[in-house]
Amino acid sequence: MASGPPDGLDVYRQNADLTHGELWLRYFELGGMSTHLQLEAFLYGALRPTTHDHDVIAHALNERFSEMGGDHPVPYLGDEQVS
Amino acid sequence: MTGSDRTSPAFDINATVVGDQLVLALRGELDIHAAPDLSGYLDTVISQGHVNIALDLSELDFLDASGLSVIAGETIRLKLSGGSLIIRDASVQISHLLDITGFTKMISVEEPETTLGPPGRLGPEEPGHPHNSPGDSGGPELTQQLRTVTSIPSNDEVVDGALRLVVSLARATVGGADGVSVSLRRRGHLSTVAASDQTITEMDVGQYASGEGPCVDAAAEGRWFHAGSLADETRWPDFVPKAQALGINAILSSPLLAHDVPVGALNIYSRTTNAFAPKDQELASIFASEASTILGDAGLDITEEQLASKLAEVLRTRQVIALAQGVLMERDGVGEHDAYTALRRFSVEHGSPLSQRARDIVESAHRPHRGPGPRPSCTVCGRPVEIPGATVCSSECFDRQVGIHHAGDDG
Repeated sequence: MASGPPDGLDVYRQNADLTHGELWLRYFELGGMSTHLQLEAFLYGALRPTTHDHDVIAHALNERFSEMGGDHPVPYLGDEQVS
Repeated sequence: MTGSDRTSPAFDINATVVGDQLVLALRGELDIHAAPDLSGYLDTVISQGHVNIALDLSELDFLDASGLSVIAGETIRLKLSGGSLIIRDASVQISHLLDITGFTKMISVEEPETTLGPPGRLGPEEPGHPHNSPGDSGGPELTQQLRTVTSIPSNDEVVDGALRLVVSLARATVGGADGVSVSLRRRGHLSTVAASDQTITEMDVGQYASGEGPCVDAAAEGRWFHAGSLADETRWPDFVPKAQALGINAILSSPLLAHDVPVGALNIYSRTTNAFAPKDQELASIFASEASTILGDAGLDITEEQLASKLAEVLRTRQVIALAQGVLMERDGVGEHDAYTALRRFSVEHGSPLSQRARDIVESAHRPHRGPGPRPSCTVCGRPVEIPGATVCSSECFDRQVGIHHAGDDG
């Protein structure tokens, strides 16, 4: 998992073998506040999520990659801004 | 060989040989009327020795289950004879149909050269992000949304169409199969959503009514039921005589599983005793797996009870995370998002789920209220709430709030 896909949250979703609905449930469980449709729009790049929302999605995906035995390939925007 | 070789009012096939490949450009509408044209055409060209065939769908406007059935059947036939059939340049709508029916797993589909953008239907219904308080546990809107993403899809017709396709393929390819059906549990009841003929439907309905039979058992228990000879069968005393009266002597029922939950059965009936050889049983397994994939993709996986349980679990985790955020905000004097980031970083650094870290923080945070002003009251029992940001005083009250009942609870 070290060299993940270059860009695009939906590519990560596909690699994580999650449907949009499954990812939304995980995102919601982790505290995400956006609707299912809004999440899809974030994934496709049709809407831009807040940094916090992006990082909740990223973490939902990363926890999935961990379950699959990988590391955390999806970068966090919050960490980039701090460093 | 090239030219317009076959026409019907709304369907046309144009053949071109490119190297060792025969490219068939399909134009118009491939529906129940045109499917026999395509089937007959493919029979002819395959018998002439063409075993590497590409279907160019760039000018195909419509494709239904009967057309898909022909394509899938010929694909299997060509694979078995060492050849191949691929699809190229399908429209977005037809590609979507191939995806949703699971056929992209079975048939090679070449993408068009032009890159398509994301679907145009997406867009914000409302700007910004509504922000609930940490204690907000959702309510009817959330239940509706959860149902939308996890429960029975609105496109039942598409799912049923795909299942009819599986039935027709199984009927055509499993040796000894005289009738095939798919039973599916919807809204708590088994019903036949696809069947090769009316007799088979009646036989299924008889099983649902009496509550016994291989189909009912496969759908309930999630495992195989094979009755090679009904004359020797003792498991279903009510059902067996009825099946025999309809001329059936062997039955193979395979469970359909969506996300490991049994949701129905693929039933194959034969007039011939011991009709299903091991190879046919293996084929049946493949079709059951294919149907399960369709159901899994469609999200047809969760009963009302399971939905409620899943909802409670999701809400509980979400609440614990919100509580942990509150603890960190109070303890460290940080904002909501910084508290979340701290949880998330711990999760990443230690390789443990964020929810586990949140639980640990909440469990270690039972200490007296130190903030300014009076302590809030539990929205369930009215006792003081000790944990900053919480709206309930304990996990028991949270369970009651979201409708989880424990053994011994009153009412």
